[in-house]
Amino acid sequence: MDILIAIITTGLTNGALYALATIGLSLVWGSMGMLNMAHGALLALGGYAVFSVATTLGLPVWLAVLAAAGAGALAGVILYICVVRSLIRTAGKNFETSVMIATVGISISLQNALLQVYGGQPLKQPFGVSGAFRIGDSVVPWLNVVIILVSVVVMLGLALLISRTRMGRAIRATAQNREAALLMGVAVERTYLQVLALSGAVAGICGVLVSSVTQLSPTLGADPMLKAFIMCVVAGLGNLPGAVAAAFGLAMIEAGVQFGMGARWGFPVLLMLVIAILIWRPNGLFGRAQIRRM
Amino acid sequence: MSDTTQTLPKAGKTLSGGRIDLLIAALLLAMAIAAPFVIESRYMMGQLILGLFWASVAVQWNLLFGYAGVFSLGQMAVFAVGGYATAMLAYYLDLNIFLAIAAGAVIATVFSALVGLACLRLQGVYVALLTYAIAQVIYLLIVTDTNCFEMVGTTCRQFTGGATGFARFGDFGMRAILKGDWIKGNYAIVLGCFVLSMLVSWIILHGPMGLAFKALRDNQAYAVARGINRFHTQLLVFGLSAFFTGMTGGLYATHFQAIGPGIFSISSLLFILAIAVVGGVGTFWGPVVGTIVLMVADELMREVGSFRSIGLGLIIAFAVVALPRGLVGRFSDIFHKHKS
Repeated sequence: MDILIAIITTGLTNGALYALATIGLSLVWGSMGMLNMAHGALLALGGYAVFSVATTLGLPVWLAVLAAAGAGALAGVILYICVVRSLIRTAGKNFETSVMIATVGISISLQNALLQVYGGQPLKQPFGVSGAFRIGDSVVPWLNVVIILVSVVVMLGLALLISRTRMGRAIRATAQNREAALLMGVAVERTYLQVLALSGAVAGICGVLVSSVTQLSPTLGADPMLKAFIMCVVAGLGNLPGAVAAAFGLAMIEAGVQFGMGARWGFPVLLMLVIAILIWRPNGLFGRAQIRRM
Repeated sequence: MSDTTQTLPKAGKTLSGGRIDLLIAALLLAMAIAAPFVIESRYMMGQLILGLFWASVAVQWNLLFGYAGVFSLGQMAVFAVGGYATAMLAYYLDLNIFLAIAAGAVIATVFSALVGLACLRLQGVYVALLTYAIAQVIYLLIVTDTNCFEMVGTTCRQFTGGATGFARFGDFGMRAILKGDWIKGNYAIVLGCFVLSMLVSWIILHGPMGLAFKALRDNQAYAVARGINRFHTQLLVFGLSAFFTGMTGGLYATHFQAIGPGIFSISSLLFILAIAVVGGVGTFWGPVVGTIVLMVADELMREVGSFRSIGLGLIIAFAVVALPRGLVGRFSDIFHKHKS
């Protein structure tokens, strides 16, 4: 019973973190066909933004979290203006791989820039909630509850934004068919900009939550990003509800394996599961086969 | 669209293209052979050997991605499999090091063919993620391995070498023959293997198999409709590029007399990507040019120390945006424009 509660707590918390990392990635993939390898670096950027605003400047923490979202969004905008925009115009059918390699480069630079500014030693994050409550004999930290709540709120906000607003409609239209959206008068380039900014903002907040569990380091985004890739792939790239479901499902499995077989096996088992899923369903669990024109 | 206009004129001039390749090869080879007679510093020789390793892996990755259109992020895993197999065979079975390298290359080929099988039904980015996932599984299993396989003195050694890896399992035997100039002997061996791998790659790329790779890359459905067997072709390209990558891994392990899990690190994979992108993906000489440019840039940036990685990352991003076909692609565009 205690183990079950521990597994559920870990699974839900990690699931919330993975889901948040995944929707940022999946949003960009779904609407632009772009795999943003710099997503993990944006997570780290968000974490350090909170540190700078709250610890160094001494401003309240909620403001710092907003600043993290802002920093992520700004990074997304810069990424679009400097790299993605010209690649969309020049790369043609090589866009998928070109943008992947380019964002890998951006990611290295950003991580090392953070390393230069803040130094290599792990820093303590100002965002956090202390204390815990008990269910039966097992202890559940309030921090985990806060993390789950914040991610659910962010995800709900994003879902509302995409399903109810004019901007969201433009994003969905572009994702469905870029040419048709262009012909209907959607400013596709502006939509791309908005998508990257949104994804950056979500990444910033996600970075804050991730670093509140661990510590601040320039590579803190690498692990969540890798897992987010896996969730995306399992769900089928670009499928948002599927990505959230996959994130929670796989986090539960990972937590179960870690408690059952030891921490060492958690991630490898997850990866092997993913390899099996990909061989069985090449477009992910919820993905549809793409029909490519000749 | 632009692809057809670029490849068509080339197809008509394969003879002159072959001659240019021969000329470049002769020039580069002459420089490479002259190098050990001119260079005295052991550090420089070491960097040259390192450059040959990088170039070799990048050439094979380019074969996979640039010619066959398979975007694999598992290249360093194949390299590591070759290196680890060599080290383990030499360490546990006391196999002759050259036999061990050959066996390592074969093991890497089998490994890569299996990965290729798993990737057969996948497209584009999914291939990248699957190969990356496989590389990560191997890395994690090696690093977290704590079961003692045997005791060396008072320390425990894991079967996979664990987080430390293997060291001192044998060398090329050049120290015994050449004494202080042993590094030049190593250089000769590594250079010989590199030339062999380039030669085989060139012959395959300019034969029917190379055309099949390119056809599958450019338009898979059309290529299959014209009777190209995707199953055979993809397994062949995975196996072929893995053989030489694994061999390079074995040479690497033997030259440094060490191999550890650090070889799986994302930064070494990125260096390979950077080399191919800067030099020119899908061009024969691209990876070689890219290696020279990046090794020199890396050497210059050594001065600024910690800003090196930032610079490398920016170079990658800039090259993708500004040089879509790399330095070699850019040069050949200018060259063809002048000719016509």
